[in-house]
Amino acid sequence: MSDERLDLPQGTLDLLILRTLAPGPLHGWAISERIQQVSRDLLQVPQGSLYPALHRLERRGWISPQWGISDNNRRAKYYALTRKGQKQLAAETHSWRKLTGAVGLILDMD
Amino acid sequence: MLSDLRYRLRAFFRRNHVERDLDEELRFHLERQKDKYVARGLSATEATRRVRLDFGTTDSIKDQCRDAWGIRALDETRRNVRYASRTLAKRPGFATVAVVTLGLGIGANSAVFSALNAVVLRPLPFPDAHQLLSIEQYEPDAARPLWRTYVAPARLEDWQRMASAFQGITGSYLDDLTETSGEFPERISRAWVAPRFFEVCGVAPVIGRIFTRAEERFGGPPAVIVSERLWRRRFGSDGNIRTRALRIGQRLVPIVGVMPATFAFRDASVDVWSPSPPDAPYAQNRQATWFTTIGRLRRGVTIAQGLDDLNRVQARLGQQYPATDAKLAVRVTPLKTATLGSVPQSLWMLFAAVSLLLLVACTNIASLLLARNAERRREISIRYSLGASRASVVRQLLTEAFILALIGSALGIAIAVAGFEAFRTLGAELPRMTEVRLDWTLVLYSLTCAIATSILFGLVPATRTARSFAGGANSRRRTETIATNRLQWTLVGIQVALSVTLLFGAGLLIRSFDRLMHVSLGFDPSRVMTFRMTGNWGETIDIAALKRRVVATLEALRATPGIAAAASSMAVPGAPFQFDTELRIVEAPTESNQKITARNRIVSSSYFDALRIPLIAGTDCATDAPERTALVNRAFEGLYFAGRTAIGSHVQEITSGPVAASGTIIGVVGDAREQGLNEPSAATIYWCNSAPNPTPLFLVRTHSENLAGIGDTIRRRVHEIEPGRAVYELVPLEQRLADTLTENRLRTVLLGSFAVTAIALAAIGLYGTLSYIVSIRRREIGLRIAMGALRRTTVMLFLRQGLAVTAVGCAAGLWLSVAMAQGLTGMLYGVTSLDASTFVTVLVLVIAIGALASIWPAVRAARVDPIQVLREE
Repeated sequence: MSDERLDLPQGTLDLLILRTLAPGPLHGWAISERIQQVSRDLLQVPQGSLYPALHRLERRGWISPQWGISDNNRRAKYYALTRKGQKQLAAETHSWRKLTGAVGLILDMD
Repeated sequence: MLSDLRYRLRAFFRRNHVERDLDEELRFHLERQKDKYVARGLSATEATRRVRLDFGTTDSIKDQCRDAWGIRALDETRRNVRYASRTLAKRPGFATVAVVTLGLGIGANSAVFSALNAVVLRPLPFPDAHQLLSIEQYEPDAARPLWRTYVAPARLEDWQRMASAFQGITGSYLDDLTETSGEFPERISRAWVAPRFFEVCGVAPVIGRIFTRAEERFGGPPAVIVSERLWRRRFGSDGNIRTRALRIGQRLVPIVGVMPATFAFRDASVDVWSPSPPDAPYAQNRQATWFTTIGRLRRGVTIAQGLDDLNRVQARLGQQYPATDAKLAVRVTPLKTATLGSVPQSLWMLFAAVSLLLLVACTNIASLLLARNAERRREISIRYSLGASRASVVRQLLTEAFILALIGSALGIAIAVAGFEAFRTLGAELPRMTEVRLDWTLVLYSLTCAIATSILFGLVPATRTARSFAGGANSRRRTETIATNRLQWTLVGIQVALSVTLLFGAGLLIRSFDRLMHVSLGFDPSRVMTFRMTGNWGETIDIAALKRRVVATLEALRATPGIAAAASSMAVPGAPFQFDTELRIVEAPTESNQKITARNRIVSSSYFDALRIPLIAGTDCATDAPERTALVNRAFEGLYFAGRTAIGSHVQEITSGPVAASGTIIGVVGDAREQGLNEPSAATIYWCNSAPNPTPLFLVRTHSENLAGIGDTIRRRVHEIEPGRAVYELVPLEQRLADTLTENRLRTVLLGSFAVTAIALAAIGLYGTLSYIVSIRRREIGLRIAMGALRRTTVMLFLRQGLAVTAVGCAAGLWLSVAMAQGLTGMLYGVTSLDASTFVTVLVLVIAIGALASIWPAVRAARVDPIQVLREE
């Protein structure tokens, strides 16, 4: 399994976090779990870079934190997508699609 | 952008809170992860191990999070500040020297800057002050008496009506009131103002209102406006001032307003303003010379346009009133320029000087820092080996410099505030000096100075020190030491050069002041008391009575014991008073077309006696001169009578004015510097007249040295004969002469003290650098001595080094002086700006100081004990 894991390309972690938060607020651990789940374990968030990334996004005003109670009854810091973050997500999704599409075209040429 | 800033600030200032949150957040994550592993069936210990493995050290994650907060730079700064404070505290001696040096530099600089800012840079205290112009009339081709620039009320109203470039034109003249409620009568200064005066100034009363149009008309309701000072003193700050009235003579005049204390126009001494109605019958003479005139330009109109407009108007008036207006033209000066005179030039000069001083201080500290950083090699190399970058070492060293500068600037502000006192004392007679005070501009300026200077004196040592380690090679140590020394010597040389420049400037001013003090005046101001008595322009209606009054006063004074002579004069002898006219000598052959111009003075009998101006031929003015008589000075006779006697000739003033002075020359007197200490005497005519105006200057020569005593006698005597009049400006003549030199003295004293400070700093710099070099070369010196070097040779070795730097500094300083001395022309009397003997004096002085500063370290070098040095190794 571990052999199939992919390294995250530079800069995609932000996009993944934003997308993961789109349905609703999550705390840090849940974000990494969710990414892993949804990618069917192909993507694993490097634990060391998750929190710096979250704090960076918070500073940019794309996500906003809120302390809440987790499902196991403990205080946890939940992050929610802000309006600015939604816009950013849309923009980044769009440019990611364009990039992968373009890369796909190059790879598919004969 | 803003939210980003808010985020960073929160992270920085609520640091504990934010850190706690981060801890909790990470702990939560770790626990969840562990729970997950446990749920998968791992033992608790194994789960913990796996979590650690996944996660890495929390410390490095935390560090990365802190990076994400964007406060790393702030954090580092905080660390640097803390570290720098500790380092400085460890060497209190060095820190004190640096802070005091900077404090002096920044303080002196800030004080002069404040004066410059308050007096020159800031607009006058009127709204849109740049629109205000001083307006004068003059005769383009005539020698000009002072008061002919004053404007007649009728002409002023014409200008106001016809000139379209101005929002308003107005004027004022000063007069006396006598306040008689105290033991002795007291003089109150009153300004008569043309209509629109307060509107043009743009300043509103603090209480009440300005004059109405009705009050400004002849026969309108009487009204006065008083100063805040008079309101306090006479009316006890009564809020109901508008129900009060001011007693003027026999009349009670209602007070309609109180002007704020800051309103000091034309003169800070004015306490009462009264309207001067232009439609009064006595105000219709177009040749009257009443008003000092100001005008306010319309928005967007340039000064040149305003001047053109006024001259067009005046040309039209010239056609309308050829007899009185045809020869007149108009000139304007920005009110600020007119108010300040030559003061801006002096202040800019001082500011340049004090900036050089600050530069000396910076250079001084830079060389101190260099030496100190060299001593800190070990510490800095440890920092490098622990992985500090060069930039971070530079930042660290700069932080120290900045802390020094900050404390220095705090001290500087205190010194600057003390400096204001010096300014106010030395410059009491100068315009706007009361506006010099502590304000935010000063604080901001000092802080800017601190930042600029810390970069200036911190950057070179910091980069130099950091660079010398960047290679990490200790093998280069020796060459680096030499390079550092060279830089240090350069810095010392710069200090010497700048000090030489300042000393040279100060030397020129001191020599020129000295020349002024020893100038032969042609009259003797010692033991002469001067004063004025309140009078008012209304008295000029009955000239004969006015004259009788002044003569009676003079006679009473002459009869008083202790008084040797008493006289009156229109002007203060030895103080500038521009009153030149063109004359015609009646007996001169008509074909002679020599233009005769002369200074005018109007004096009573005994004037020459009171001032000890020798009467060379003829007679003095008669006590009650019945006919028109005059005396001339020797220069006049020599210039216009070429060997013949002037006595008996008749002179006539050539003027378009109402009354042409004329008279017979009855005597010739010695030349005197009537116009000012720095003005050589010129052809002068003294017209005999005891009462040229209602408030002539009285001059009293006493038998005794005790002028204060005679002051009392004069007050009492005048009170006996004129109980309704106040004696004011009771000042010894020598004091008045000293006052005319205020600006000169201010710049001489200040430049002198800056120069002395600069050379003291340079001497300290030289001493410190040489001491440092001796200390790092101890081993070498010890070896030399052990090998048999003579102590004398050792002394000479270092002394020569010190003197060589001084000499190079002197050469550079001379070169700089020649360039800078241009700025002093116009401020010098009796010396040129390239005065050789001043150069020589400065050079000798500086080299002597250089030798003195070098000798002690040199001697200490020679006293190095070789055995002890070798043992130290």
